[in-house]
This record gives sequence, structure tokens and C-alpha cells, in this order.
Amino acid sequence: MPRYDAIVIGARCAGASTGMLLARQGHRVLVLDRSSFPSDVISTHFLWPHGTSYLNRWGLLDQVLAVTPSHTEVTFVNDGIPLTGSVPDELLRAYFRDWHGDDSGVVRTYASVRRHVLDQMLVEAASKAGAEVRTNFTVRELITEGDQVVGVRGRDSDGQLVEERARIVIGADGRNSFVARTLGLPKFDERPRCTFAYWSYYSGFDLGPAQLHRRGRLACAVAPTNHDQNMVLVWGPSEWSREFRRDVSGNFQRALDFVSPELGEVVRTQGVRAERVYGTLDQSAFLRPLAGPGWVLVGDAESAKDQCTAIGMTHAFRGAELVADALGRWFSGDVSLEAAMASYEGRRRSQNAAAYYDYVCTLAEMRPYRHDELQLFVALRGNQQEIDRFVATHADVAPVSEFFQASNLLLLNDAAKETSAGYPVFEDYPGTARMYQQNLFA
Amino acid sequence: MSLPELDQRDDDELIGTILAAAGRQDLEAMAAAAAEVSEMTRNWATHIPWDEFDSLDETALNEVVADLTQMWEPVDLQVDADEEYALDKNAYDFYRPAGRNLMTRTEEFHGWVEARRRTETWQYSRTLEAAPNSIAQITNDIGRRTRGINFNSQDYLSFNTHPAIREAATRAMRDYGPHSAGSPMVLGNTRISDELEASLGELVRAEQVTLFPTGWAAGFGAMAGLVRQEDHVLIDRLAHSCLQQGARATTRNVVRYEHLNVEAVRRHLVDIRRRDSRNGILVVTDGLFSVDADWPDLVTLQRVCREHDATLLVDVAHDLGSMGPGGTGVLGLQEVLGDIDIVMGAFSKTFCSNGGFVASASPALKQYLKMFGGSHFFSNALSPVQTAVVLEASKIIRSAEGDLLRSRLHSAVTALRDELTGHGLTCMGEPSPIVPLLIGNEKLARIANRLLFDRGVLAFMVEFPVTPTGSSRFRLQVQANHEPEEARAAARIIADAITDARTYLSSAFGSTER
Ligand SMILES: Cc1cc2nc3c(=O)[nH]c(=O)nc-3n(C[C@H](O)[C@H](O)[C@H](O)COP(=O)(O)OP(=O)(O)OC[C@H]3O[C@@H](n4cnc5c(N)ncnc54)[C@H](O)[C@@H]3O)c2cc1C
Ligand SMILES: Cc1ncc(COP(=O)(O)O)c(C=O)c1O
Repeated sequence: MPRYDAIVIGARCAGASTGMLLARQGHRVLVLDRSSFPSDVISTHFLWPHGTSYLNRWGLLDQVLAVTPSHTEVTFVNDGIPLTGSVPDELLRAYFRDWHGDDSGVVRTYASVRRHVLDQMLVEAASKAGAEVRTNFTVRELITEGDQVVGVRGRDSDGQLVEERARIVIGADGRNSFVARTLGLPKFDERPRCTFAYWSYYSGFDLGPAQLHRRGRLACAVAPTNHDQNMVLVWGPSEWSREFRRDVSGNFQRALDFVSPELGEVVRTQGVRAERVYGTLDQSAFLRPLAGPGWVLVGDAESAKDQCTAIGMTHAFRGAELVADALGRWFSGDVSLEAAMASYEGRRRSQNAAAYYDYVCTLAEMRPYRHDELQLFVALRGNQQEIDRFVATHADVAPVSEFFQASNLLLLNDAAKETSAGYPVFEDYPGTARMYQQNLFA
Repeated sequence: MSLPELDQRDDDELIGTILAAAGRQDLEAMAAAAAEVSEMTRNWATHIPWDEFDSLDETALNEVVADLTQMWEPVDLQVDADEEYALDKNAYDFYRPAGRNLMTRTEEFHGWVEARRRTETWQYSRTLEAAPNSIAQITNDIGRRTRGINFNSQDYLSFNTHPAIREAATRAMRDYGPHSAGSPMVLGNTRISDELEASLGELVRAEQVTLFPTGWAAGFGAMAGLVRQEDHVLIDRLAHSCLQQGARATTRNVVRYEHLNVEAVRRHLVDIRRRDSRNGILVVTDGLFSVDADWPDLVTLQRVCREHDATLLVDVAHDLGSMGPGGTGVLGLQEVLGDIDIVMGAFSKTFCSNGGFVASASPALKQYLKMFGGSHFFSNALSPVQTAVVLEASKIIRSAEGDLLRSRLHSAVTALRDELTGHGLTCMGEPSPIVPLLIGNEKLARIANRLLFDRGVLAFMVEFPVTPTGSSRFRLQVQANHEPEEARAAARIIADAITDARTYLSSAFGSTER
């Protein structure tokens, strides 16, 4: 019998959570990460209400909210058409019942929580639950017997070479997963088009709830986060990144001014930047195989997507509950490993999951909103129930198929309270659409 | 964590510097720049040995350069722009075109249809080369021909090739000619029309029957005839288009309830009646749903309607004649014959003709619909040939031969469903002449459909707007003339095509719903 039931590689949203949940079930868990904590990792760290609900289910939300601002309503402004809404309680409950069979711990607030804050709490929670956590530990090899993964070899914080074995090795090691690379796993459903995203942290203003703005092929967002600061983010199509990068901080402000002159003004005149501007354009989406002999992947390691709907951390939490539940049933002898992994796979690779994947990947191409999409936003104005359902759909709480359904779209149209008359974008739409195609940074 | 200084260089610039240094084989400069890279990026790009740049050998250096370049300037995979465009969109992306010229603004949609056609992923508008039977010969919309096991025709009892049906058509042609030459309210009906109304009335046990020129016109006309602006419509989310459009056209008080959820109907009724005790409520559902192959609990639904003074309309277009005892469809199966407020149906599936009807027990309702239904009064009556065909069909349906045909149909359905399920595929709904084979992702469905065209199976792929996004499927419509072995062979071909399409797209998504 190996020393551990499970070795988890990676100790952040996916890994620490999986380790914590398995340890709480009473299993012997070793969690390894090459980072030391607290530390940051690339992310703009927005948690939608199901993300915070997971933390609440696990008893960690109070601790997070003690140092992190949170809100319920969020405002989307698309080409000047504002929609303010929140994720409804009943859709959140339906989500948790559907995915996990119970709807305990549901909260409707979202929060933007720095990873050096959140990941540290997750690591501590895993330790407290009884998992053995070793940080500063870089896994360098997988130990195999035949094609079966049986353990890991790596360097601990003192530089010692260490070997550990377990019944299963869980790769929660992110987009550039060591486990996946070592096993030579293929990528499926690759979507090369994605966004470039640049962001930083500002004090000096407080705008309340989060705002997401979109104009043409560019977008920006502001969300209040820890240390009385705001996370301010701009993103656009990766085809424009080369030009953007010629002057990152100049173009950052330029993008803000173009997408939302009001927000641009606030940042320019009141904002005090506290850190350098961070950024990446390596966000193309893909899936990997989920599990094989002696190993299973969770979080970004199994499926990474563009940041544009801010969902990766919440999906990592969801994956953690699913995989911990599946492995728990195997450890306790209720089902075979194959059956446990098949149920995990069924959930992660379902029709609804595919539809949301398509939704994100299409959005990440950052094509200007089409005329019919903008008209839909106008039609939604004043229809609070459907705005809320749209927010829930965007955040992957409600299935894409229920909002984007023909008879629903027709009904939305018929129930419209406003017309396009008040919105300048409709005045010379073809001309505006042509202007939108020009690279602002060229 | 060590709070990064504001004036540190951006990661972008640093990675650019590292790559430039790597080009000069300057490992020291690489290491120096790497030390400045933010903690965020180092913890994210964990595959880059940031701390080991000064000791890289040549292979390791090349690997680092490749990985960093991919991060810094990812190469777009080569994509076929036409195919990508064709596969990425759906029809409703074009529902609200821009511009004030109603004609020119249709161009964008046309461009997309052309891309779908060029890539042979446009499933619509195929044409028949001969009478469709269990095998059919067809041409697709770019002129390519094929022949295959036919699940594309809605002729559940295979009446289109039935001698008695053809004979009835010929007789009516001889007696009355091809033209009805007028509205049924003027002089468009014949004696056959009266006989047909009586026969249908007996079949559904609601003897006040009105005929319509199509099933669509019957559904739309029934709603337009009955519902007024201040009334309410509760409609199953997946009910047929003619009913959805009927709802839209008549009132803004429309609630689309969750598919089949009778409890939701009850809650909505309570809610409406709390606010409005004066106006009417029409509850609308299909019997057998044509894309999901399931049906509601009509016993409870009708009872709940009565409890709240609401009227129930059930569209039996697909099940009447093709299933249930004596061909009485879902109503007969649930033993609610004679008990449903309003029964509406279409002849276009089992009855071998265009046309539709609305039936109830009320002579008053009948007269009212004839006057105010619009599509009855102001549209030419069914032709004598159509009427005669439907009458003959209704007779066979109610005869012993009808039972035999239905049992053959059922054997083919069972064979098809079993074989598909045996290949790990998901057939939705209940055994019925409609076998919905779930695919899910539209791209997968469009490619599988393209492959099937040349492999001898004619299957209709349905996608948004017929199904919700991400829930596309093949709708296989079975006939009494399908041999079970034929159905099994088709199932095997379909399963292979789906596997091949998945490989072609390199997709890991399955087709379980959630
Ligand atoms: C620009 C950007 C913005 C984003 N914004 C959001 C957002 O607003 N909201 C949201 O929900 N998501 C967002 N995401 C996505 C989110 O950051 C990820 O989905 C999430 O971090 C995934 O968590 P994880 O635990 O799977 O992986 P990671 O957070 O990447 O953690 C993997 C861990 O594995 C460790 N590791 C790797 N290899 C080894 C090894 N060999 N040995 C030991 N340890 C190893 C690493 O050190 C790391 O700590 C964003 C992503 C990007 C790129
Ligand atoms: C459920 C349902 N109702 C009504 C109709 C309309 O019938 P028709 O084709 O006769 O216009 C159809 C057929 O498309 C249908 O499937």
C-alpha cells in the first residue's frame, strides 16, 4: 500500500481545494507546489457568485470577505448600452443541485480576490483539513510502472531529491501542466484565437460594484479588490497585441479612453497605480484528456480558456468538488476507478460544457458586436429577470441553451421596452462597424 | 510576497529581452532579465526554468526559446476561413440585420449560407428524385446526388406508396379535379370534406372539427381565433413554431414554461389568476414533441387547467395515427380521448397530405374559429385530392391494417434505437416514429451530417433555432416500410460518421446533456 492515497501537484484553486476536500473525507493526501505562499499567479481573480458559493460551502468565505470587498450587482456596458443585473438565487441553487446534488452554501455575492490572498487561505485550509502540504517543492518526474503512474520524484525546499508514491496522482498544475507535458497528452478542441489582457492595481477611487465595458473589439473592466485597490483590466483581440505592446502603459490608458471615456478619466485623474502592468496573450483554449492509469487532471491543466468571462478559478473549484467526490467513491470502494473517472468525464465533457466553451471562445475572438446582438441588449433593458438570466448565462451558472433559445429570443424582442433610438451606435452602424475593425494601436 | 516596485519593467518587455539575449546565446543576460520577471508570470509559466537560464545546454535553450516564443507571440493555427465561418455561426446571428434597406440587408445572411453550401454543411433544401420510401434518392442544394436509407421523410405509415391511398387520390381527381377554387367559407369544400370532419371527430372523440390548409395554419389559426390582447398564453418552451408564433401574434402576456413541467403550469396559473380573474388563459403543448420525442402528462395538465379556468390546446401532429391504440396517439395512450379541450393536428406526417384540423366538443367554438381563425376563412380550402387522401388515411389508421402498420413501425423504431444505444449514443425521448439522436455541439453535427451524405443514410440534422444552442441532433423519422435490419445498418453507419466527425474536429466533448 503506498504511503498516500493521493498526491496533488499544484496548490492553488484546483489543487489546494482538491487536497482539502479529499483530506476532509479522511484520505491521506500530499499536496505539492513549486511556489512558496503567499504568492501571486497570473489571473485577474474575479469570482462569480458560484465561485464564492464554493468557498462558502467549504467554510472559507467569511475569511475571504473579511479582507475583500464583495457586491451582488454587476454592470455591463456594451457599445454604450448599459445592463445592470445579478445572478438570481434560484439559478444558483439549480446550478448546485445539478452539478453537485445539493444547494447548500449558496451566496449571491461576487468578489475579486488577489491570488496571494486567496491561494494562501486555500493552502492553509488544506493543511488544516489534514493534507500534508509541501511548498517550494518542484516535481521533476513521474514514477511509472508500465503505463501506470504510481508516484512522483522532485526536489524539496532544501534541494533534496525526494520520492513519494500514491494510489493516484492529481495534476492540478495549471495551463502549462507538468503532468500533461510529461505524459505527452494531446490537446483537443484547440481555439487559437483569444484575447490579450493587460491589467494593474490602482488606489484613489471607489466606483462600487464591478463594471465591464465593451466597445468594438476592445473591452475593459474595473473591480474593487483587496488592499483598497481596484483591479483595472483592458483586453482586445490577440491580432492587435503586437501594436499594443509597443507602449503598454500608454496604450492601456488609450484603450480605457476608447472603451469607456468615463472610466479612462477616473483612472487618469484619480488613479494611483501600485504595481507594474501585467499581461499575457497566451490564452488559447484547449481540452486535455481527463484521466488515465494512475493520474487525473483538474483545473486549468485539463481545460484552459480565455479570461474574457473570468471563469477559470470557479471552474477549478467545480472540478475540485467533482474530482474529490469521484475519487472519494473509489477510495471507499463503492465504484471502480474507471467508473469514477467516467462520471467525472461525463460532467466535464457534456453538451452544456461544450456550449459554454463555444460561448467563451467565440467571445474571445473579440469581433465587434453585431447589429442583432446590440439590439438584443437594447431589448433586454428594463427586463430585469432576463438581464439576470443573461448575467447567469455569461457566468456559466445557467446553461447557454436556455437563454439562447429561439423562442426566448423572439419573446425578448416582443417584450422590449426600449428602442434603439437613444443609442448613437445605431446611427451609422455600418460606418461604426468599419471603424471598429481598425487597430486602435496601429 | 515581495510587493513589486511600480517602476519594474513589464513582463512583456522582459521576455522580449530574454528572447533577444537567447538569440545572441547570452545566457547571463537571459538570467538577469528572468530575475526581474514578475512572480505572477513565473508561477503561471511553470514550464519555463526561470532560475536555470545561466546553465542551459543547447537542447534546453532551444526548448526555452520555443516555449517563450509561443507565450510571447502565439502562432495562430492554420484554419480554413470558409469552414470556420460556416461552422461558427448560427442562423439567429442574422435575425436582426442592420440598415434601412430591407432588401440589401439580407446580404450578410446570404454570405453565410453560401459559406455553408461551399463547405457542404448546409443541411436544408434537399430535393427528391423519386417518391420517398424507406430508401430515397435525393439531390443536395449544390446539385450532388445520393441514395440512402431514408429517415428524412415524415410518412410514418408509408402511405405515400399505399395503393388504396393512391386510388383515393385518383378518384377525387376524376370526380372533382385538382382545384378547390375557394375558401371553405365560400364554396371550397366538397362532400368529402364533411365526411373527413366526421371521421376525424370519431378518431379523436371531439366531433366539432374544422379543416385548415396546413397544420401550421391550424395551430396559428386556433390561437389567433381565440386569444386576445389581454388574455394569457402559457406555452411549453419547446412547442411547435406555429404555436409559438401564434402566441407572439396574439398577446404580450406569454409565459414559456419549462418543457413538460405541469407543476410549473400550475404555479403560473395560480399566479395569473391571483392578478387577473377576468381574462382567458390558453395553455398550449404538443402531444408527441417533434424534436424531443416525449410528451406531457395530459391527465394532470387538463385537470390543472380546469381548476384555474384555463383552456388546454394539444397539438397531436406527430402522434395521431402513428401510435396509441387504434392510432389515437398520445391521447389514446393516456386515456384522455374526448377529454381535452382543444385538439389540433396536421395531416402532413401520417395522413399523407398537406392540411390540418382543430377539434373540440363545442359547435360554438367551431363556428367562432371558422370566422376568426384567419387561416381558415381567408385561405383556399384543402384540394379535393388532399381531402380524399386524408379521409382514406384516417380509415386505414382506424382499421386492423393500421394496427399492423403501427406494429411494423414500432419494430423498426426499436431496432434503430437499440442499435444506436448499443454504440454508446443517446436516443432521446420515448419510442415513437421520431428518434432524436443527440449530438450536442453544432460543429460536430454539421460535419457528421456532411459525412453521412455520401454513406447511404439520409438523416435530417436539426440545430438552432429548432433546438436550443449546443443541443443539436439528428432527427430520424422512421416509417412502417423500414425493415429492422435496414434500421440497424443505418445506425451503424451513423455511429461511424459521428466517430469520424469527432476525430476530424479533434474534439473531446461527448454528448451527455449536462
Ligand atoms: C489573464 C488572465 C486572467 C484571468 N482572470 C480570471 C478571473 O478573473 N477569474 C477566474 O475565475 N479566472 C481567471 N483566470 C483563470 C484562472 O487564473 C485559472 O483558471 C486558475 O488559476 C486555474 O487554477 P489552477 O489551480 O488550475 O492552476 P494555477 O493557478 O495555474 O496553479 C497551478 C500550480 O501548479 C504549480 N505547479 C506547476 N508545475 C508544478 C510542478 N512541476 N511541481 C510543483 N508544482 C507545480 C504551480 O506552481 C502553480 O502554483 C484568468 C487567467 C488569465 C490568464
Ligand atoms: C408539432 C407540429 N405542429 C404543426 C406542424 C405544422 O404542420 P404542417 O407541416 O402541416 O404545416 C408541424 C410540422 O412541421 C409539427 O411538427
